[in-house]
Amino acid sequence: MSVTAAEPQAPEQATVVREPGRGFAWENLGFWLLAILIGGVLLLPLYVLFKVSVSSLADATAPRPSYLIENLTWENWQRLLAWEIIGPPLQHSLIVAFGTAILAILIAAPAAYVISRLPRGTRYLIVLSLLFTRMFPEVIIATPIASNFFSWGLNDTNLGLIMAHLIRTLPLVAWVLVGTFEVIPRDLEESSAVDGAGRIGTLVRIVLPLALPGIAVAGIFAWLDSWNDLLYAIYLFLTERTLPLITYYYASRGTVTDVATFSVILAVPVILLTLVLQRWIRSGYLSGAVKG
Amino acid sequence: MARRGATEYAPAVTNRPLVPAKDVWRRPGGLSRWFSRHWLEVAMVAPLFLYVFFFMLVPVAQSFYFSFVEAGTQNVTLGNYREIVNRSQFKDAFINTLGITAIGVTMEMVIGIVIALMLARGFRGRGLFRSIVLVPLGVPTLVAGAAMLYFIGFNGYLNEILRDLGIIDVPVYWQQSGFRGMFAIALADLWKATPLVVLILLAGLEAIPGDIYEAAGIDGAGGWQKFWHHTIPLLMPAITMALILRAIDAFRIFDIALVLAGQAIPVMSSFVYFDYQAGNTNTASAAAVLLLFMIVVFVIAYIFLVERRAEVER
Repeated sequence: MSVTAAEPQAPEQATVVREPGRGFAWENLGFWLLAILIGGVLLLPLYVLFKVSVSSLADATAPRPSYLIENLTWENWQRLLAWEIIGPPLQHSLIVAFGTAILAILIAAPAAYVISRLPRGTRYLIVLSLLFTRMFPEVIIATPIASNFFSWGLNDTNLGLIMAHLIRTLPLVAWVLVGTFEVIPRDLEESSAVDGAGRIGTLVRIVLPLALPGIAVAGIFAWLDSWNDLLYAIYLFLTERTLPLITYYYASRGTVTDVATFSVILAVPVILLTLVLQRWIRSGYLSGAVKG
Repeated sequence: MARRGATEYAPAVTNRPLVPAKDVWRRPGGLSRWFSRHWLEVAMVAPLFLYVFFFMLVPVAQSFYFSFVEAGTQNVTLGNYREIVNRSQFKDAFINTLGITAIGVTMEMVIGIVIALMLARGFRGRGLFRSIVLVPLGVPTLVAGAAMLYFIGFNGYLNEILRDLGIIDVPVYWQQSGFRGMFAIALADLWKATPLVVLILLAGLEAIPGDIYEAAGIDGAGGWQKFWHHTIPLLMPAITMALILRAIDAFRIFDIALVLAGQAIPVMSSFVYFDYQAGNTNTASAAAVLLLFMIVVFVIAYIFLVERRAEVER
């Protein structure tokens, strides 16, 4: 009797501990179809950009666009990759992105270290206020920045654009770095201090090497942020061009194949960097912030 | 006070409390003693705070100042605000920004929760699916807008797909102001921003202990009930964070709207830019201040309405 009573419980138990996705059950089919649909829709815009960039203008503007790549041509790429066209904006974009990343680390890392060593309450207050600077719309900052930089002669200069990009990047980088330094155990610093290393010596020899992965991630964030920026560039660059700016100008003039080609040039390094970064942008990385 | 601080932490740069005691100002020589102990910390923190102060807070204050003075005479006035609220371009920008935020953020939250729930299951190919989902995160916002040009154009893929599915017979003109334009811009924003929502919600889901599910399963709760009564309330902190972050960014939307529609579909940020470009720094600043006001009102209203209600229910 007791055996039959236990019998109906078995499948019930099985549904509780079942791990979905192991093996191929019919109910999983819908799940897989949905996953493939979502993945396809997410990749479709990138495919279309690439497709248009290797189409002739006539094909790209046909009344009914084709889904597959027909009449593949590298004509757009050959024309736009000429150094007279791509060179100056590429130089500006690269110099500004690297400059922003390096300066952001140099300014934010020391500050982030000190903030990470503050008592808990003060630390959260500072980190939260850094995050809340996001509430400022960028245009409210960019308008006076543009008029100030014009009077200081910083328009159309790499330095001016780097300084503008730092405004947006610094809070983000500081936030990431506070998280990095927080988890470095203080005992290590103590024992180093006991061993007679000076304050700066301890920082450089003990703390810095441990923080390097986090610093690299923060640097890549800053680089991406600067590489992608259109807003400050459009405010500050009037005669010179960055890559996003030249993409925008082609878009407003309406040569669709050129816009697609520039978009692919702009997106490729970024997508590669993001795929590398995925090792670090784990969801657990954000969970600390969610739990507050 | 000093003892407790010293044992609480012992960082390399100091073995004394960093936050000065409350009476440091009144104690004779207190401030200079504090500074002589902590000059290194002050030197390390100063560049960041000075930069944020001079290049972020001062410009914001400047914008407020510009918005309240008359161009040329510098007399204090509300004329800039009066002028922009009477411009039809501004009204369009205001309504478009609200509409894009409402449509975009709603779609992002719904689709974000679906994808996050899918990723929370263990299945073969999860790593690949996760990588694909995160790809748009890396795509420059400008490129997200440019890519959408080929979808929402009159001869674009959105019309083509809808025609092939038999949903429409005649192509729709998407790039016009009104609901269609808002939807088109929200669609580009959806593609670009959903990965961020997924990341935040997935972090929230992974923080939910698994035994709560097992308990619910033994109680006989069905899938939908489990989702509605257990997952959603426990996920609320993550939902709040994702929603506030996304709404703030949607209010500030610039690149996508500019690339997709230029001045045809104005949003608040692009209105400010074009107005500044036309030489009207003062009215542009007034619009920027109103945009900041919109964001602050939204965040405060959300926290008061949703968080308070959630607390009452608990």
